[in-house]
Amino acid sequence: MADNKEIVKGEEVTLEIEPGMDILEVNKQLAHKNMELLREHNVKAIDIMGSIGAGKTSLIEKLVQALKKKYRIAVFKGDLTTTIDAERIGRHGVKVVTINTGLECHLDANVVARAVERISLRDIDLLFIENVGNLICPAEFPLGTEKRVVVVSVTEGPYMVVKHPFTFMTADVTVINKKDLAEIMKVDTEQLKKQARDIKPNMKVAVTNALTGEGVEELIKALEL
Amino acid sequence: MTTQIVDSVLEEAEKQDAKKVTEVHLVIGKLTFLGIEQVRFAYNILVEDTIMKGSKLFIEEKDGVIECPSCGYKGSIQYGDDPAYHVPIPTLRCPKCGKAAKILEGKECTIRSIKMLK
Repeated sequence: MADNKEIVKGEEVTLEIEPGMDILEVNKQLAHKNMELLREHNVKAIDIMGSIGAGKTSLIEKLVQALKKKYRIAVFKGDLTTTIDAERIGRHGVKVVTINTGLECHLDANVVARAVERISLRDIDLLFIENVGNLICPAEFPLGTEKRVVVVSVTEGPYMVVKHPFTFMTADVTVINKKDLAEIMKVDTEQLKKQARDIKPNMKVAVTNALTGEGVEELIKALEL
Repeated sequence: MTTQIVDSVLEEAEKQDAKKVTEVHLVIGKLTFLGIEQVRFAYNILVEDTIMKGSKLFIEEKDGVIECPSCGYKGSIQYGDDPAYHVPIPTLRCPKCGKAAKILEGKECTIRSIKMLK
């Protein structure tokens, strides 16, 4: 750890320490703990990142509907201030914990650890964690999930992927949502797919319409659920 | 992030009973979303009214290094060369075999050293 060099100049003492401490490391260690705890209980956790209004909550609703017979599901819902989305998801009869971040633009491993304390891991097999709508900050804060999904939608324009390469690097699956609007928006979903794979060659991609449920099967396959 | 950096430096300085912090050396990876300009800007505001006021901030940027689990390539990350983008887009594609590589370096935000007066 600290490698101290002390230099005495007259009355003044200069001290140089080398803490070598990584600010992001604390979160990584906590994320690792979360992962171990979840694995111990055979809970598969999935972090769902994505831009504001991309359709993260609608997708989770559809995933819950499709999977609730096969798995016992819980959802953590990151949200700055409200519980609106939590109520939406809760209607499908699964346990929802809202994580109101207040000011923070992303979830971190610490708030997830606290949310985990509020559920009984023995009673679930699958955990969706909806991150705060943001394509930047969540990239730096792994939560300890098995997989990370990033959701973008065609209404955000054709450059969402190339503008946020570091976020896509951390993801296993990319969802391109609102496919029904692609033509109107003049956005080529194939192009977005290609861009995601240029950044990460083994990226799995699902093109969906979260309102109708189209493409959700594809996403479930990509998540290996 | 800068708040965390400043808090951590202050904590270390307190442990050493320092009167004043004179230099802070950071290492920031190029594969993070951290902007050097913004870190500097926030730093200068955050150190006001602390023993870090007036300290010099040195930031070393670290290039991205990847390792390919398929062919064993280890080296710098490649960037796309599409002239349409002002900032080159990094890719995890291995330059040797084309498969997906993993990031080894470039994601760090480390306080390398702190100089202080006791």
